[in-house]
Amino acid sequence: MADVVLAEGYRPPPTVQGTWFAWLRDNLFSTWINTLLTFGALYIVYFAVSGVWAWGITNAVWEAENRRVCFDILAERAQEQGVDELTGACWAGVISWFDSFIVGRYPRGEMWRINLGGLLLVVWMVPIWLPGVRDKIYVGFSTVFLYPFLGFYLFAGGEKGLFLQVMMSLAIVVLIGNTLNGYHGVRTGRSLPAVVIAGLGMKASSDKKQRNTLLAIFAAAFALAFWAQMDWALVSVEWNLWGGLFLTLVISGIGIAFALPGGIVLAMGRRSQLPVIRILCTGFIEVFRSVPLITILFMATTMFPLFLPEGFTLNKLVQVIVAVCLFNACYMAEVVRAGLQAIPRGQYEAAMAMGLGYWKMMGLIIMPQALKFMIPNIVGNFIGLLKDTTLVSIIGLFDILNMLKAVSQDVPWRGLHKEPLVVGAALFFIICFAMSKYSRHLEETLGGGTQR
Amino acid sequence: MVETTTETTEAETPGQLASAASSDVIILLNHVNKWFGEFHVLRDINLSITQGERIVVCGPSGSGKSTLIRCINRLEEHQEGDIIVDGLTLGSDLKNLDQIRSEVGMVFQSFNLFPHLTVLENLTLAPIWVRKIPKSEANEAAMAYLERVKIPEQADKYPGQLSGGQQQRVAIARSLCMNPKIMLFDEPTSALDPEMIKEVLEVMVELASTGMTMIVVTHEMGFAKTVADRVIFMDFGEIIEMNEPHQFFNNPQSDRTKLFLSQILHN
Ligand SMILES: Nc1ncnc2c1ncn2[C@@H]1O[C@H](COP(=O)(O)OP(=O)(O)OP(=O)(O)O)[C@@H](O)[C@H]1O
Ligand SMILES: [Mg+2]
Repeated sequence: MADVVLAEGYRPPPTVQGTWFAWLRDNLFSTWINTLLTFGALYIVYFAVSGVWAWGITNAVWEAENRRVCFDILAERAQEQGVDELTGACWAGVISWFDSFIVGRYPRGEMWRINLGGLLLVVWMVPIWLPGVRDKIYVGFSTVFLYPFLGFYLFAGGEKGLFLQVMMSLAIVVLIGNTLNGYHGVRTGRSLPAVVIAGLGMKASSDKKQRNTLLAIFAAAFALAFWAQMDWALVSVEWNLWGGLFLTLVISGIGIAFALPGGIVLAMGRRSQLPVIRILCTGFIEVFRSVPLITILFMATTMFPLFLPEGFTLNKLVQVIVAVCLFNACYMAEVVRAGLQAIPRGQYEAAMAMGLGYWKMMGLIIMPQALKFMIPNIVGNFIGLLKDTTLVSIIGLFDILNMLKAVSQDVPWRGLHKEPLVVGAALFFIICFAMSKYSRHLEETLGGGTQR
Repeated sequence: MVETTTETTEAETPGQLASAASSDVIILLNHVNKWFGEFHVLRDINLSITQGERIVVCGPSGSGKSTLIRCINRLEEHQEGDIIVDGLTLGSDLKNLDQIRSEVGMVFQSFNLFPHLTVLENLTLAPIWVRKIPKSEANEAAMAYLERVKIPEQADKYPGQLSGGQQQRVAIARSLCMNPKIMLFDEPTSALDPEMIKEVLEVMVELASTGMTMIVVTHEMGFAKTVADRVIFMDFGEIIEMNEPHQFFNNPQSDRTKLFLSQILHN
């Protein structure tokens, strides 16, 4: 500030001399009606919160063997306090079932695999959010295309075919490279290949030599990873034991990872010059969008098998995942189409006039701009997708909703409905709220960079 | 269809074809017709442009000037006649098309810079992705062109942070980065304030002095007088008159040209 020379007559803008007291006066108590409304609203909030507070916190029972004990404790307390009856939450039931909410009927001894899988996913994605890290786009791509193989083996275990072994080894190498790349990015702002080349003292070598060296290192790392994973054997956990929030996140995670690319392809198909592609894509989108997800889920489990060759069975989980992916790709296609329509024609023309072909034009010019417009809608759809996934409980998968309901069927906790549902709602709220906050943040940071 | 039109051409306009036959003709339009639905925008356009020629196209609004030059890099498709650019015939052959487009630069009235890329990235995008030039080389070349349009200091800004005149100069530099053989300008200055018009025209005059083949749709008659080798007047989709600038402005032949010139010179 000090070195800015101000011209005569210039003065800084007036600063608002706000105290909290002035704020209260201006916003809540400016007129009589406003004051009345303020007190009215405060009373309603107090009424609602105090009831929930008493139920969930003050009167709640945290430790008990079963629901009967919960009631007994409450009755005892009521007597002490000299009231007829106390209502309070029986969190003890939720606590004893909490692991089941998270992983369903997954064997408890194998639960570490899910935790490890979740941890690896986080480690994999963390570099996206770190400042200074290079090539973030590849981090995103590898998360979508490689992590699933590693995750799949961790969660499912059992026999692993050659293909899975190769992909897993690749995933392991990329995960490690990714993490190192993130580490160096944060520390020095350089990418891992640059650091390796510098470390080998090959900065002066030709591009080709550098590339070959990097490829050789990659190949060696791959061989090592392949050898390491060969004796790695995990007990098989059948898909029908998967459940709880874990299952919900697997289904919606795959749905989310597929919905965006699938939606982009469908949206581009819908705008295609070729009538066959256009009609196919439009028809596909319209059919899926006009049918409720639950219908599609039922059809998927009953109709997919009809299309499959004799003697070939798909498990229900795969059927459900395919249905969820297709359904959401169709919704996403409409979001993408709206985003594409916001791009002025001049952008297409400028790109074409340069000699960029269709794919380069879409990938370099149109999509990056369109995606920015679409972020709020995309995240909105993702949130919807996550919540809709609870519908799979209806066709008999043990997702989180079914696990929440299962508590009340459990002998010691028979009839315990409210508490698990409150916990489920809280879990969903945390995840969805975080997603929407993050999308706001994304919009702001991406919007700030380009200033249209 | 095309075959027959070509043959009749020979009989009708021998002068045109004589120049077309010479080797340094870089753009040739032969009985080109185009319709937008029922609307006949381009009517029997014959034009041959030699390498290094500077052509200015003028005419009233809606006369088809933009459509004409947009046909040359096939942003619009013509329905009849032939357009030959640098020896390649514009047709449905996609391979030809991308090759022609990479050799024909185009500058638009509304700049059409890519708002999500910095100025430098705008300039290097096509060289890197179409010409496959290494990034460092492309950056160097881009900086040289920014120097030439006199805004090297803006390289790392985004287009939205520049003035209109600066944006248009970036757009010109962006086209030049592809080393085009031909530059098309569609009213490059008509979205600009007078101050900025000057700076853009200066860049274009400088470009003309390097021997670039240029087709410029503009109403800047001063530019036409100093730079153009030929001025074309279009109306209702036809080329009404085509002459070298001195003759064109001092001795217009057609009444419509006279009327147009009197209107435009009085403003
Ligand atoms: N895509 C299109 N579809 C239908 N009609 C069009 C299209 N583009 C242009 N036209 C019409 O064709 C005619 C010529 O348009 P063009 O843009 O070539 O005119 P112009 O001479 O460049 O005019 P201006 O000086 O206003 O830019 C106009 O009447 C216009 O309405
Ligand atoms: Mg025009």
